[in-house]
Amino acid sequence: MTVIHVPRPDLKTAMNPDRPANALLKAQILHLHDAELRLPVRRQTDIYINAIKTEREAAEYIRKVTMAIHEAHGAAALNRTKPKRKRAFEIAAAAADKPVRKPKSLAKGKTTGRAKPKRKG
Amino acid sequence: MPPPGLDNLKHIVVLMMENRSFDHMLGSLKAVNPQIDGVTDQLSNPDTTGALVNPQPLADFQGQLDPDPDHHFPAVDLQIFGGNTSTNRVANMQGFVKSYFNQQRDVGHSQKIMYYFAQNQLPVLTTLALEFAVFNRWFASIPGPTICNRAFAHYGTSFGRVDMNLLYVNEPFKSIYDRLINANPKHTAKLYYYDEASSTMEITNLLQHQPELFGTYEQFLDDCDNGNLPDYSFVEPNYNDHDSDSGAEVASDQHPDHNIQAGERFIASVYKAIKQNADLWQSTALLVVYDEHGGIYDHVVPPACTPDAVPASASDTGTGVPFAFDRLGVRVPAILISPWIPKGTVVDRVFDHASIPATITKFFLGDYSPRSPRETSADIFIEPNVQPVDPTRNLLSLAAMRADCPDFD
Repeated sequence: MTVIHVPRPDLKTAMNPDRPANALLKAQILHLHDAELRLPVRRQTDIYINAIKTEREAAEYIRKVTMAIHEAHGAAALNRTKPKRKRAFEIAAAAADKPVRKPKSLAKGKTTGRAKPKRKG
Repeated sequence: MPPPGLDNLKHIVVLMMENRSFDHMLGSLKAVNPQIDGVTDQLSNPDTTGALVNPQPLADFQGQLDPDPDHHFPAVDLQIFGGNTSTNRVANMQGFVKSYFNQQRDVGHSQKIMYYFAQNQLPVLTTLALEFAVFNRWFASIPGPTICNRAFAHYGTSFGRVDMNLLYVNEPFKSIYDRLINANPKHTAKLYYYDEASSTMEITNLLQHQPELFGTYEQFLDDCDNGNLPDYSFVEPNYNDHDSDSGAEVASDQHPDHNIQAGERFIASVYKAIKQNADLWQSTALLVVYDEHGGIYDHVVPPACTPDAVPASASDTGTGVPFAFDRLGVRVPAILISPWIPKGTVVDRVFDHASIPATITKFFLGDYSPRSPRETSADIFIEPNVQPVDPTRNLLSLAAMRADCPDFD
């Protein structure tokens, strides 16, 4: 079986995160920015996209917004699985339907629960 | 008996690279296999002095195509029609040098748009092209830039867009991913981007609304290793140079001016990930394709095609003339890889990126509508496993799996 050698690029010359962001990256940033503005404010970045010039800066913005989109969807999915707390009017309505309590037994010195006579001051 | 290559096929993977033309990457192979429609010494383009410039095997891995050659709709129109804007014009592929001259006004520099890679400079791509099935006639879907071309791979249409602006999906044409995951029985699909710092180019619709469709390249490697690859996978390379916890991440998309060798290593990595799992290797077909030509020379005239549902207006094209999506973009490298494909297969039928959802849909779902007119008329590159299979069209045609497929180190 033939094994073909695949040369590695010289990182010193190949890698340049300070390279100006190309038109494709700029378009990607605009699309992500459109998506970012639809996120809850607390999940938006404080990055001014017009100031993004380099691939390094572009990558940082792309990473943050991509993760924010995932996290926002994750949080929404989590909320859907949580048991919902009853609202106040639901609780009140449920209380109105409660069965009437039986009176407590008067045997063995148990009182009816009536208020004790007031002490004379 | 169904062909065993189709009968075994369970997974289709598409890796879409960036911005290189067929002649630029694979043109050298005509000298090795004359059936491959590559570069000859009869080809040329005039420069702005009128001198004819021939293609030469002088392409560099990096630092040569700077500035990035213009590949937006008006520039590609010039490249294809040589500057002729008349109504009855004929495409002649004579405008590439003139187009590149417009960017720097340097005659010598503009000629570099005709350079191509020697075979030994691209050991991965050229080996795959010679070992498996190379497409002589795979074209970008539109004569324009990345995002609308990639849309054809996801939706079978770009919804009337020929530019890089926000691309909103309009019903009723669903993405190939939606079709698969909502089918009955359900199928599986995933887009794998390199990492979050590179992300995807399909943001407005898929990432924003269905981020669960996405995974990272690391997950792709794990899924290949563990046999968890979905029915359909779309892989995106790294679109930018950045640092990560793992170290330096060199852009691997091969978009000018990113390093070509980094892209070669990425293509090899995808191939190796599938091949090293024996079960996956016999049940997977991998398509390596480029989204568009990046403004770089190719000699084959893009053919006319079925118009799409939504035209682009004269103001949207930037040429003053509307576009009905009735002509394909410039030719791009495209290779289909599978151990069931005979060595040295050359395919002459016409394809574009709408062939991707057309093929995936036909193979996994059968008949499906609604689809765009462009997708409905696109050819498919993998025949459905339904009898009778046309042997002249089936590329996965071997009766037994090959044992001589190459490895990359």
